[in-house]
Amino acid sequence: MRDRLHPMLHSEENPRTPEAPPPFPAQYLKAYRFMLLARVLDDKIASLGRAGKIHGGVFLGRGQEALSAALGMALRPGDIFAPLIRDGAGRLAFGEPLLDAVRTCLGSALGPMRGRDGNVHRGRPKKGLLPMISHLGAMISVVNGALMARRFNHVEGVVGAACVGDGGTSTGAFHEALNQAAVEHLPLVLVVANNQYAYSTPTRRQFACKDLSDRAIGYGATPHKADGTDLEDCLRVLSTAVAQARAGGGPQLVVASLLRLCGHGEHDDAHYVDAKLKESALGRDCLQVAEERLLREGWADSEALLALRQEVTREVEAAAATAQREPAPDPFKEDWCALSSRHLREIFEAPIPSIPA
Amino acid sequence: MKQLPIIMPQLGESIAEATIVNYLVKPGDVVAAGQDILEVETNKATMIVSSPCAGKVVALTAKIGESYPIGAALGRVELSAEEAGKMGLDTAAPEEARPPANGAESLAKGETEARRGVEPTVRGLPVPAHASGASYMSPRMKARMNELGLHAADLAGVPGSGAAGRVTIQDFEFFLANLEKHKLSTASSMRVAVADAMRRSWTRPLATVGMPCPLEAMLAHRKVSRPKIGPALYTLRALAVALADNSAPAGRLIGNKIVHPPSIDIGFAVEAEDGVLVPVVRNADVRPLSELITFYNELVALARQRRLPPEATGGSIATVTNFGTFGLTWATPIPLPEQTLVLGLGAGRKIPFWDNKKNQFVPVTEANLTLSFDHRVLDGGAAGRLLSKVASLLQSPEKL
Amino acid sequence: MSITYLEAIREAQAKALADDPRVFIYGQDVGEFGGAFKATKRLAQEFPGRVLDAPISEDAIVGAAIGAAIEGMRPIIEMQYADFSTPGFNQIINQAATLFWRTRVPCPITIRMPSGGLAGGGPFHSQCLEGLYAHYPGLIVMTPATVEDAYSMLLEAVAIDDPVIFCEHKHLYYHLKAPALPTDAMPVGKARVARAGRDLTIVTYSAMLHEALAAAEEIALEGEEIEVVDLRSIKPLDTDTVVASVARTGRLLCVGEAFPWGGVTAEVIARVATEGFGLLDAPPQRLNAKDTPIPYHPDLWSVHRPNANSIGAAARNLLRM
Repeated sequence: MRDRLHPMLHSEENPRTPEAPPPFPAQYLKAYRFMLLARVLDDKIASLGRAGKIHGGVFLGRGQEALSAALGMALRPGDIFAPLIRDGAGRLAFGEPLLDAVRTCLGSALGPMRGRDGNVHRGRPKKGLLPMISHLGAMISVVNGALMARRFNHVEGVVGAACVGDGGTSTGAFHEALNQAAVEHLPLVLVVANNQYAYSTPTRRQFACKDLSDRAIGYGATPHKADGTDLEDCLRVLSTAVAQARAGGGPQLVVASLLRLCGHGEHDDAHYVDAKLKESALGRDCLQVAEERLLREGWADSEALLALRQEVTREVEAAAATAQREPAPDPFKEDWCALSSRHLREIFEAPIPSIPA
Repeated sequence: MKQLPIIMPQLGESIAEATIVNYLVKPGDVVAAGQDILEVETNKATMIVSSPCAGKVVALTAKIGESYPIGAALGRVELSAEEAGKMGLDTAAPEEARPPANGAESLAKGETEARRGVEPTVRGLPVPAHASGASYMSPRMKARMNELGLHAADLAGVPGSGAAGRVTIQDFEFFLANLEKHKLSTASSMRVAVADAMRRSWTRPLATVGMPCPLEAMLAHRKVSRPKIGPALYTLRALAVALADNSAPAGRLIGNKIVHPPSIDIGFAVEAEDGVLVPVVRNADVRPLSELITFYNELVALARQRRLPPEATGGSIATVTNFGTFGLTWATPIPLPEQTLVLGLGAGRKIPFWDNKKNQFVPVTEANLTLSFDHRVLDGGAAGRLLSKVASLLQSPEKL
Repeated sequence: MSITYLEAIREAQAKALADDPRVFIYGQDVGEFGGAFKATKRLAQEFPGRVLDAPISEDAIVGAAIGAAIEGMRPIIEMQYADFSTPGFNQIINQAATLFWRTRVPCPITIRMPSGGLAGGGPFHSQCLEGLYAHYPGLIVMTPATVEDAYSMLLEAVAIDDPVIFCEHKHLYYHLKAPALPTDAMPVGKARVARAGRDLTIVTYSAMLHEALAAAEEIALEGEEIEVVDLRSIKPLDTDTVVASVARTGRLLCVGEAFPWGGVTAEVIARVATEGFGLLDAPPQRLNAKDTPIPYHPDLWSVHRPNANSIGAAARNLLRM
């Protein structure tokens, strides 16, 4: 079962093989599963965090699962994906192994970051999954560069996706990179999760334009808007945007509206979130909305959903148990060399001179 | 026009500053090179500062009655164009046009900076003249001397060419290379050991007092004793008895503590080949001469063969040295580094002594007793009292 | 037949493009125009599609280079002036420099930075930022001082699997000439004794090498022989060659064109003090630019940075200590 959830990482299959789109209910259910897996994983990470087993911050993606999963599912193996802080669902949909997430959060020496970087700063660059740095907007131009490389190498039909939040749109890097993608006419899908707050700063202190998607035209990109609380809308908008990029339509700017259903991190009680927003349609929990839809449409019954939740929980528990048993990195065996060219490293520990007798 | 500073010259060794006494010219005067400009006074003499060049005195900035360090600018002389040409100064910009001294420029100023010499204060703290200088030993010098087993004292004869006369590594290597031209012989280990002990001892403020001591009683006693007792043993025993009453003068000063001697163990100097050995007589205060004599003679013989047993070396609190055996009447011996006192005995001489009873000179044999001591532990008075006590004990040798 | 420092850089890029299909050049005005200094003259024409003009977006330029490097390319980035690398600073030090350490995926990018002063350059076209970049783990910083090194080290920079900050000196672009391109080169990370001496060691790099050599020749007339060490790359820094030179001379003067606080000269002195304290017969000295922004007027500029005169004065002062 687990293998089928992340086909990309194990795929030797040709990334350019066109897939026949699955029938809609099946696709919806598949997306729901990624959302659920991400939510259960978040809950587990939060619980490990409260138990003091996580070093550093704990950052969750509650409320953003629909948008993220829809993006991950629209991408194919061989595409480039630079997720951000709340893209657990998209990562899973793109094929990131569950263990990568748990291992990185716990700092396991066996994780992809080997304890050198943690929590959401993880990825497998050679698999197209780029590990974010903390500086917002910085990953977009990296995706551009990867796409330029594909073009140099005459690899076609590839899409690169980068994620930011509403706060990230204020950075110079966002501007430079979106402009660059347009100048180079790159197949970039830039997804903005407008979750109404950048940490505690509301959007009215972040930007003054009517709608962030209006910016697209100024850059020479195609605008898209999505309701981030509605999985169906996300699936539709993201698959359209990704398909347009793949077809040579140049950069696509997707702006999805939603509300962050957690603090910036688990250290943040998010007391500043406007109660009216929570009550509004924006404040709906996308997971619950999707679940109700599944039941309403008869695409799944409650028993099946319960079984799915149990299955997903077992997966998460198994991954957490595995990672918790794994060794922490050993500072005395660590290879303290930041260079790939080992022969060029500098050794700063001066030899202790012997004192003449 | 180019101007040159009038500099407070080096007025003699160990003179850091001088006081302005009098001007001999006034601003505007035309002066010749070397002409007297002003009088200064050091703690040794009144001296003259002269003009650095021919030209016109444009400023006399030093104030009468005030002191200025060596190298300070006292005024300025403006050179005539001709003079500047002669001195090769005609191309440089006038001093006032230079940017303020800091960073790279101050280095570029080189000569001027060097002649200005020390500033009297740095960041509000007074600094000694030539603080950067003479006794400074660079890390490389220290490392090199360590390597060769040399000490600072070995450099006493090396002239330094570095700042303020310090010995640079080049000076040192030149000195070492030159040594090779001389006849060199290896110092014996005894010589090196003595040198090391003396060097360490010399780090303390040592002083010497002395007084004449009549030897008639001792000589009379010696004449009848069998076996014969040497003058050093009498003196040793007298010192031991004197210290038995009060051993404080033989204590050592460590930090703010006087370390008192645990027992009155006295050493005596015996000359051996290329050095001196110091056998020790333990508890010399409680062993009368009659008991000591044979033991003492054995120790002398063993020392000359350099076969002293370990229990007879080290740990003594004072040493007696009979430098009189070399015909010397006076000396200032250096105590061992771990001792505070060394008692010396000079050669006995017959001298005319005014006998009040006989109302005439009579011949008397006497010798000088000296006491060298660590002045940190005791003063001249205490040393004198101890020495008088020894001299007086020597007048009754039968009681020793 | 002779070749300038600038031509050597152009030739090295032409050779890299010709030899390795993974190489491409990306930067402002580098395309048909051939670069602000003509370091990419005719390369766009000779290698169509591989020499790309970039928008004025230093952050995105470096970011794109990193993305391409992840995909196996070997981009050469031209910052029009080293001064303009600061808008791209974040990508260089936080993304490029950390990538290998974090992910084991190397980041073989070369960032050319036309550095240092030309008269009239002013505060924003004259800076030397090598010390700033050398501070960061994960970066290699090259500072070639000769035509030969400009050529061979740039080729090596492209071949190295780590991000290389290549600080080429603008003052040397046209002034420095060599008879021909080199056929072999010292390995990167090795310093070169540019002039042998016995009385004092000057450690320097880039354009200051030539000022130091001129000062050394002048002082030689006074009977004292100065050894001049050209660091070639400041990271890695060849401590062994520096310490060996100080062992010969006992005196150390470090000269750099960058600002005085911290930086390369301080680093060299720190290393000699820790690893070769017992070799020093005088306090080590350093000479840098002044602690102000770089002035525009040539008269101010020529005093702002060290030159043969001020290096000579510093050396004489040190020889007298």
